[in-house]
Amino acid sequence: MTAKRASATSPTIWTVLKWTVAILAAVIAVFPVWWMINVVFSEPGQPVSINPRLWPTSLTAGLQTVHVIFAETAYLHAYMVSVCYSVLTIAGVLLFGSAAAFEFALFDFPGRRIIFGIVMLALMVPTAVTIIPTYLLTADLGWLNSMQGLVVPGLASAFGLFMLVQFMRAIPADMIEAARLDGASHLQIYWHVVLPLCRNAMVTLAILTFMQTWGNYMWPLLVGTSPDMYTVGQIVGMFNSPLSHQTVEVVMTANLLAAVPPLIFYLLFQRKIVEGIAMSGTKG
Amino acid sequence: MAFLEISSVSKSFGAVKVLDDITLEIERGEFVVFVGPSGCGKSTLLRMITGLDSPNSGTVSIEGKVMNDIEPAKRGTAMVFQSYALYPHMSAYDNVSFGLRMAHTAKTLIRQRVDAAAAILRLDKLLHRRPRELSGGQKQRVAIGRAIVREPRVFLFDEPLSNLDAELRVQMRAELIELHRRLDVTMIYVTHDQIEAMTMADRMVVLNAGRMQQVGRPLDLYDDPDNRFVAGFVGSPRMNFLAGEVVGADATSTRLLHAGGTGPLTLPIGGLQGQLKVEIGVRPDHLRILADGEDPPPAAIAFTGRVTFVEELGNVTYVHIVLDDGTPIVVGAGRGPRIGTDDVRITAPVGHALLFAQDGCRLRGRNGTGK
Amino acid sequence: MHLRRHLPHYLMIAPFMLLFAIFFLFPILSGFYYSFNDWNAVQPAKFVGLANYQKIIASRDFARSMWNLGTYIVITVPLGILVALGLALLVDNFTGRWAHVFRGAYFLPVVLPSFLAATIWRWIYAPNFGLLNMMLGWFGMPSVNFLNNTGSMIYCLIAVDVWASAGFNMIILLAGLKNIPTELYEAARLDGASKWQQIIHITIPMLGPVLFFVVTYGLISAMQVFDKPWLLTGSSFTTYGGRGNALLFPVMDMMGRGFGAVKFGEAAAYGFLLTLAIVMVTALMFVLRSWSDRR
Ligand SMILES: Nc1ncnc2c1ncn2[C@@H]1O[C@H](COP(=O)(O)OP(=O)(O)O)[C@@H](O)[C@H]1O
Ligand SMILES: [Mg+2]
Repeated sequence: MTAKRASATSPTIWTVLKWTVAILAAVIAVFPVWWMINVVFSEPGQPVSINPRLWPTSLTAGLQTVHVIFAETAYLHAYMVSVCYSVLTIAGVLLFGSAAAFEFALFDFPGRRIIFGIVMLALMVPTAVTIIPTYLLTADLGWLNSMQGLVVPGLASAFGLFMLVQFMRAIPADMIEAARLDGASHLQIYWHVVLPLCRNAMVTLAILTFMQTWGNYMWPLLVGTSPDMYTVGQIVGMFNSPLSHQTVEVVMTANLLAAVPPLIFYLLFQRKIVEGIAMSGTKG
Repeated sequence: MAFLEISSVSKSFGAVKVLDDITLEIERGEFVVFVGPSGCGKSTLLRMITGLDSPNSGTVSIEGKVMNDIEPAKRGTAMVFQSYALYPHMSAYDNVSFGLRMAHTAKTLIRQRVDAAAAILRLDKLLHRRPRELSGGQKQRVAIGRAIVREPRVFLFDEPLSNLDAELRVQMRAELIELHRRLDVTMIYVTHDQIEAMTMADRMVVLNAGRMQQVGRPLDLYDDPDNRFVAGFVGSPRMNFLAGEVVGADATSTRLLHAGGTGPLTLPIGGLQGQLKVEIGVRPDHLRILADGEDPPPAAIAFTGRVTFVEELGNVTYVHIVLDDGTPIVVGAGRGPRIGTDDVRITAPVGHALLFAQDGCRLRGRNGTGK
Repeated sequence: MHLRRHLPHYLMIAPFMLLFAIFFLFPILSGFYYSFNDWNAVQPAKFVGLANYQKIIASRDFARSMWNLGTYIVITVPLGILVALGLALLVDNFTGRWAHVFRGAYFLPVVLPSFLAATIWRWIYAPNFGLLNMMLGWFGMPSVNFLNNTGSMIYCLIAVDVWASAGFNMIILLAGLKNIPTELYEAARLDGASKWQQIIHITIPMLGPVLFFVVTYGLISAMQVFDKPWLLTGSSFTTYGGRGNALLFPVMDMMGRGFGAVKFGEAAAYGFLLTLAIVMVTALMFVLRSWSDRR
């Protein structure tokens, strides 16, 4: 209603309103992260909570805390676990997903439609129904507290397959046939022609997979119960738990450190991430 | 034995018969054009030859060797696609050399062959570019280069010029003819454009609805079509057809009545006793509009129609006419006085009239008088 | 010969399909089997028919978690999408650098690991020195223990949820907005429609399919809400749901029965009940859509 009146009377009111709302929303969206940075990089002995301010005061204090965390807690180890977990998952999802998508998108063979249909049905099945039986299976395999237990059950990503198939369908059949005439084998077509053509989609999928793996809380909580398999999510959970005896600065530093890799990815690949999400939403 | 033999090739997709019993022989070094309306099966036939698809029945053989079970890459054929199908992530050089690299050819040999092909196609300066940095004609040449380096026995072109603008198309036609002359290899060229076919072909193969209609030199097809389809398809503007009815026939001539005509017409085509309904085909160039008061020559075709519109193209003028029964007629005229939208009388010498039976077959007459 | 020709295709999909069969299809089927058994993963399973399902449905925790879920969904889904739509329209109204800046800012919370959203907000909600209470303090208001107050807990969760997910939906809606031809707006302007009228009569109807996706996807994920309430309440497998079970949700309840009480049969049954609910809601959405399409 306000919008209507504003635009009807004077465009400047509309403009002012637009900017006010936009900036306010931006502050709400960004502030918690900014506040985290604020707490981490504050003069020791002057906690933000007692002496509120809007900008960080000491770079060295923050770095000192980071150093303390890495040196005195298992954080660095959890970081490594999370990195391994993410990198292996990304590699597997890309490799197996792209090989399967290559076939589903570009070739015809008996059973193709029905098999693909079953995998796509999986997109609709909630994690809730599979997580406990999958955990039990992983336990039966003796994979609890192991990297393969963390990684392998998540490799057959129906979402990744769907996204790559969507992308590969746009590759003209002529291109594949030209490669066949050029004497490329099936594998060579996959490797030398189709994969390079899908580089964008692969990068997008890699980033989305990273975000999801890095932020995955539930699965590592179940599979990695011993301290040497803790991921960043679990460690952060501990720093924040009511029983934790860490100071606010330390806890916030732990939180901020968990956010650093995704934030870096976001700054580097903003366009790709946004495109990937827009694509999965509007084509799905 | 011919260089390339296609014998009784048929192909269906599901219930749809796309190629129906195609038999064709092609000699070494020939430039053969497959022509026909889109969807008639031209590409499918090319794909049978190159092995991208296999026929339901029949064989394709090259130099006496049956190719049906041989890999596409090993048949000694190379194909240029309408979309060029260049790999967008590779430079022109890498595109051209891709096949050789897949075959693990020595690097120096690859270099040699690519350079040779590039010289022929004037691509020397463009080899480092990606496809998106090339113009349509340049992409086309890269696609041809990719075929050349494989040193194939047969070049196959699937509508390679249809993505180019008109001017470039004419230029590329000439370049392809020149290429054929230089390389002196067999080329099979597919197009739906009969003008392209006429200008390029040593022999042209007219296809329609999966069947071969006629094979021959372009001018033979133009002058002496085997059926109504070929007559109508070859030549531009297309041949005019008049419905006719046979009223008398003997061993040397046929008398008939036709649309727009005033009296019976006698054609020097004999032996058509028993035919009733026919069609008379006359090319626009053989028709002439009679001046006011001028009488048609004796024993010529003559009929009357109303002018609907006039295309004045400078060197020629096409007059579009409609007869009383709705038959459209095009007359090719020189540059003369303006023609209004009145009734006009049209004439043509009987020697240029072709007769077709109801099923579309050409009626040549039993004594060979039809031509 | 046929098989030989197709063999490469099957070989290429084999790794994916094997993993899919082992870690997706098999668990679903085994879960279905366990759901009819009393089983603690140590002693052999004992067939109990529908007892697990009956027990769950009759339990107080189930009722409580369903009630919470209902309240949560009814607020968070429409609110989240309204906010996302507002943000999308807002960003769409800017051009060039500012559009980029605002879009980037609104999307930032989505990028954070989801466990972190809950963790950060716990500090914001913290009593006394938490950011929110600090601000209340400026206005002279007493400190509130937001996350320990059964009346406010669910709203705290909803705020976190909207904050963390609005950017995601905004991106999808923004892509939908970009797909609306500008001629439509120009035509409407010529017809004298105001900005507001343009939104109601052009934007919203043209966004239909995208909105449908966003709502459906939002519903499906809301029904599976887990890590945010889990972390906001500082839960573990033995104590979860927060004070008075005010933040008890079905997936948490399921996990507790499985890993806390070690009743895997019951937990599996819970999973299927939840799936059934999700499938029903999704089906309902599709029915509603075809019904509104027909009108
Ligand atoms: N893979 C296929 N599956 C089904 N039908 C096909 C296939 N390829 C071609 N066709 C059909 O066969 C007919 C001939 O196609 P094509 O050879 O491409 O014609 P054109 O003469 O235009 O090149 C068309 O009607 C086309 O729809
Ligand atoms: Mg074709």
